[in-house]
Amino acid sequence: MNNVTFGRYTPYNTFTHKLDPRNKLFILILLIVAIFFQFHVWSTTLLLSGAFLILFILMMLISRVSFLNIFKSLKSMWFLIIFLLVIYVFIPNKAYEGTPICYQFNEHYAIYWASFYQCGYIILRIILLFCLTMVLTSTTKPMDLTYAFEWYMTPLKLIRFPVHETAMTLSIALRFIPTLLDETERIMKAQESRGVDFGRGGLGKKFKAIISLIIPLFVSAIQRSEELSDAMEARGYDPRAKRTKYRKLTFGWRDAIAILFAGAIFGGVLYLFILDRTGTQIELFQWIFKVNPGF
Amino acid sequence: MNKIELKNISFSYSKDETEVVKHVSFKVHEGSYVSIIGHNGSGKSTLARLIIGLLAPNDGEIYIDDELLTSKNVRKLRQKIGLVFQNPDNQFIGATVEDDIAFGLENRRIPRKDMQDIINNYAKRVGMEDFLTKEPSRLSGGQKQRVAIAGALSLNPEILILDEATSMLDPKGKSDIRELINEMKKNNPNLTILSITHDVEEAYDSDEVIVLNKGEVAFKGKPQDVFSNRKILESLSLEMPFIMDLKDKLANQDFKIDKCQNIDEIAEVLWPSK
Ligand SMILES: Nc1ncnc2c1ncn2[C@@H]1O[C@H](COP(=O)(O)OP(=O)(O)OP(=O)(O)O)[C@@H](O)[C@H]1O
Ligand SMILES: [Mg+2]
Repeated sequence: MNNVTFGRYTPYNTFTHKLDPRNKLFILILLIVAIFFQFHVWSTTLLLSGAFLILFILMMLISRVSFLNIFKSLKSMWFLIIFLLVIYVFIPNKAYEGTPICYQFNEHYAIYWASFYQCGYIILRIILLFCLTMVLTSTTKPMDLTYAFEWYMTPLKLIRFPVHETAMTLSIALRFIPTLLDETERIMKAQESRGVDFGRGGLGKKFKAIISLIIPLFVSAIQRSEELSDAMEARGYDPRAKRTKYRKLTFGWRDAIAILFAGAIFGGVLYLFILDRTGTQIELFQWIFKVNPGF
Repeated sequence: MNKIELKNISFSYSKDETEVVKHVSFKVHEGSYVSIIGHNGSGKSTLARLIIGLLAPNDGEIYIDDELLTSKNVRKLRQKIGLVFQNPDNQFIGATVEDDIAFGLENRRIPRKDMQDIINNYAKRVGMEDFLTKEPSRLSGGQKQRVAIAGALSLNPEILILDEATSMLDPKGKSDIRELINEMKKNNPNLTILSITHDVEEAYDSDEVIVLNKGEVAFKGKPQDVFSNRKILESLSLEMPFIMDLKDKLANQDFKIDKCQNIDEIAEVLWPSK
């Protein structure tokens, strides 16, 4: 049960680990928005995506994120990649008409280069998203993320949204995930020793096996939750009362550097995007490399 | 002064079920150390939940500091009581050891600047100072019990209820906790302790023992009286504490050890040092 390694927090002490989780969450959203800007000129979009990829790889190196994990999770995506290729390349799309042709089958059906770019761009975006979330989740404890969520949700208190209760529920759920995983394993072993087979058998048998796992798991989870709420009350917990806070999120000099850096990148890309949408052809590739990429 | 008083308490978990606590009455004096022993299912944990007001009795009255426990004052009176539950896993609320000890402090609105010292202090006293940033899934049952004890003690309770709170500790851990509690008592002689236990040696140390049997008080008295009564012990399938057993066996061999209170005095009778 402990093979869920994707994006698991790794307790190092890097620059990224020391950042304020609120700041990290904000930067994550900025960068996600930035990678989703699409330009009219294909070479610009792809060039920027490539630049983002290099940036994120640098971020992963700084944060000591395991590349192995990324490859492992990408390996399981080959099916998605083939699926996207088929959809984008072979299904005719009016939007590509008039753009350079890759292969002309007959007068009604052709494959366009633009469809490859589009597909490559989508796959690249998925990889970029993967890298970004990996950097966040492997440098931030889940509990710190809930503190950050709670902080961002604070304004919702004005409309009487139960911000504190939601955050508390979330953090307790996180706290109990390992406990319940252990429990699942224990129940599975106990049921296996009674002859239940979780691996083989037809649909009916599998269903029965799952039921023999789910029911004891639920009963125990409910019992746990009752005891837990007793324990919380016994220690004076009152969701409506004011509480002090042990954990304090601090915005340090590292955060200032990180947000300035991310803000500059976002600002730059946003500027180009606005130019693009107001009719300027952004020939980034040509401006930088003084060569016409040909697309 | 009576710190806790139960008057004719009866309780059942649901209306049509039989009562698991039946007409229980007893008084616990301020500063005393009382043990509750009894079979599995005799209602000990239920009694603890009743005293702290997590359950309301069907019948009878509970007084804390001579104040009747009602739904109105339960939160206030509860602040005087620290309860360590039986199952260490289900009372671990924080994400890490330090967060868990902090949980009670946060509820009491202890200022943040004071919390760190309190947490360090109590973690150290239960021997968990090196585990402050560990998550519960990486702790043993006994370590979680230590954290729970630290969490309860950090709130400076006037009454401490321990529900088999040291059942998972090794002998060294048990004696550490016993020492810690003795020390707390020395600092605060008014600390009242109600200890639910299966450990006869531990119960023998207390001022008074209450024996529960099927929800009823079967016996109440000094540990010497409870544990010298083989009939009670047999009916509860409890062993005699070592010293009582020793005295009993020596008395059968005509040694004059009636007045001896501890091992050293018995040794003195057996091998007079002159
Ligand atoms: N939440 C509950 N709902 C219904 N019945 C319960 C509940 N908790 C306990 N009981 C029943 O109440 C009785 C007393 O339980 P209690 O937990 O108080 O016993 P105990 O003396 O603490 O036992 P142990 O030594 O095993 O801890 C038992 O018969 C038990 O089945
Ligand atoms: Mg119990």
